[in-house]
Amino acid sequence: MARILVVEDDALLAQGLTSVLTRAGHAVEHAATGKHADLLLAAQKFDLVVLDVGLPGIDGFEVLRRMRLRRSAANVLVLTARDSVDDRVHGLDLGADDYMTKPFSVTEFEARVRALLRRVTTPAAPWSIAGMTVDIAAKRVRIHDQPIDLTPREWALLELFLTRPGRVLSKEQIAESLFTFDERLSPNAIEVYVSRLRTKLEPAGVHIRTVRGFGYIWEAAGD
Amino acid sequence: MTSLSPVRKSVRRRLLIFLTCSLLTLVAGAAAVTYWIAVHAADAAYDRALLDPAVDLSDNIRADGTTARLELSREAQEALMYDQSDKVIFQIRDSRGGIIAGDPALPEAGGVLAGAPMFFDGKHEGQPLRLVALRTPSGYLVQVGETLNKRQRLVRDVLVAELVPTLLIALAAIAVAWIAVTHGLAPLERVRLKLLHRSPQNLEPLDEADAPDELAPAVRALNQLLERARAANAVQQRFLVNSAHQLRTPLAGLQMHMELFLRRQLAPELREEVVRMQSATIRTARLATQLLALANVESASEQRPEPAPVDLKEIADAAAREWVPRALAAGIDLGFDLNTAIVMGDRLLLQQMLSNLVDNALRYTPSSGTVTVRTAMRGGRPCISVEDTGPGIPAWARAKVVERFFRVDGTPGEGSGLGLAIVKEVVDQHGGVLTIEAADGDTGTRVTASFPPAPEPAASTPRV
Repeated sequence: MARILVVEDDALLAQGLTSVLTRAGHAVEHAATGKHADLLLAAQKFDLVVLDVGLPGIDGFEVLRRMRLRRSAANVLVLTARDSVDDRVHGLDLGADDYMTKPFSVTEFEARVRALLRRVTTPAAPWSIAGMTVDIAAKRVRIHDQPIDLTPREWALLELFLTRPGRVLSKEQIAESLFTFDERLSPNAIEVYVSRLRTKLEPAGVHIRTVRGFGYIWEAAGD
Repeated sequence: MTSLSPVRKSVRRRLLIFLTCSLLTLVAGAAAVTYWIAVHAADAAYDRALLDPAVDLSDNIRADGTTARLELSREAQEALMYDQSDKVIFQIRDSRGGIIAGDPALPEAGGVLAGAPMFFDGKHEGQPLRLVALRTPSGYLVQVGETLNKRQRLVRDVLVAELVPTLLIALAAIAVAWIAVTHGLAPLERVRLKLLHRSPQNLEPLDEADAPDELAPAVRALNQLLERARAANAVQQRFLVNSAHQLRTPLAGLQMHMELFLRRQLAPELREEVVRMQSATIRTARLATQLLALANVESASEQRPEPAPVDLKEIADAAAREWVPRALAAGIDLGFDLNTAIVMGDRLLLQQMLSNLVDNALRYTPSSGTVTVRTAMRGGRPCISVEDTGPGIPAWARAKVVERFFRVDGTPGEGSGLGLAIVKEVVDQHGGVLTIEAADGDTGTRVTASFPPAPEPAASTPRV
């Protein structure tokens, strides 16, 4: 369970968001104006803020700016009705953790929320994805209660996928993340590592799909 | 505008006609004045010479009682009347009008007083004559006349001497005027070319400083018009952006509630009904998104940032993140073949373009189909293409699909009919070329945008 603040001035959408999050078992507060949101954020601690940009009075960007000034650690999922990418970049520059453009599907929204909350809660307890249990602190993976051996590279790769579920990772991006001082990984090497990890995790119902000519995407049943 | 070939009012032609007419009138006037002066000069010069024989004749009249006669030998008379070029005749009458000597055909000049010789024009045997009439103190009337040959020759000489240079000067003036008008109209030509090479979206004012004084008011008026058009355009853009923007939030709410509703246990007919409503909502939301995108693309041309080098490969990179999850959900293999291809342009617009291309391809490609995004330099031009294995666009419709709200009849899916219009707009703004063709193989479509090559960076390393 997490504490989530929904900042949205449209009553219909706010009600929908609140209901989705409440049903997922979270404690949800709602603010319809930027001013109200700012007051709540100054007084209470939230794990996640779902923040609409187009608010009357103080807009979402300003709410976000003030949050970051207070060094609030809450994750922020920005909702925007605009399509221009500069809005999004602006949001991310100010420290938004993710963004979605309206309208969006409930399923996608739920997935984004799960991913953002995982960031807050990861270090604590081991968690399960499909038939797999991951203990990040102990760097251990079990599939159907059988321990699996992963090399440090494979482990790093798994961590990378876990923090970006449902996101496409390019080979360059993976190479960058797995970069060590002594060697630079070639695209071919990446393919080898991914295919090894894929084979090891397959029994758990986890799929690392290839995006032709580009990279990989992590898909897990029930994620 | 009903006439087939409207008569254009050429400033040059009008100026030249005006100049030519005035110059020719001036030349004609000068000729008239010169002629008048020449005639008078000739008369002044030759009249004196005509008076001399008249005086000589009058000196030789001898009165003999009641009769008088000319006391001059035939030779002396001939010598007196001799002239190189003209025929000279004379007549002497007594105070009662009786002819004493000379040619009797000359009429008697009236009103001639003693001591005041009178010069006048007359006729003799059908020829014009210049005459002098002189009355002696004793009442005799002496008349001497000559034909006009030498006088006319003098007039002609004077006219030629005067008019030839004047005509040459007039012709030179017309030639100079032609050159001057062309030269003077050069700024107008510059303004014309500037307007001609403008994109229709560019409503920037023209540079007034560039126009000469005479043209500045016209340029200023044009700029005021552009300014008004710009303001009207901005209002329209703002309205479109705002309305699309305002539409999206309630649509998001509607869509969300329908999705939540569909998660419940529903009777099959009810579910079917709600699914239809949901698909209509998604379509409406999509339309709002596209309208907003189109408004953005168009308003971007209003205040476009300086074109910067953009790698199409990176644009495709961003698209991959956005579209791969949707492609997977639809069971479509979305793949990439990305090579560096640098375009001078606006990154956001190019992203908008590719996003619409991929969206379009995914929309019309059936499950288990393939969509491939390629970026590369082809023939020295940076290109980006999206190829799908969908049903393809019939050849006749390929030129039309870039029109707003055009959709091929019978196509499935929820297209708004704006996607390719947005793509075309972005490609046009970058001076690129958009090609829609059948993909290799039987089915499918390949849409390619090819752009002008980006200039080499100034400090490029020389290639060996």
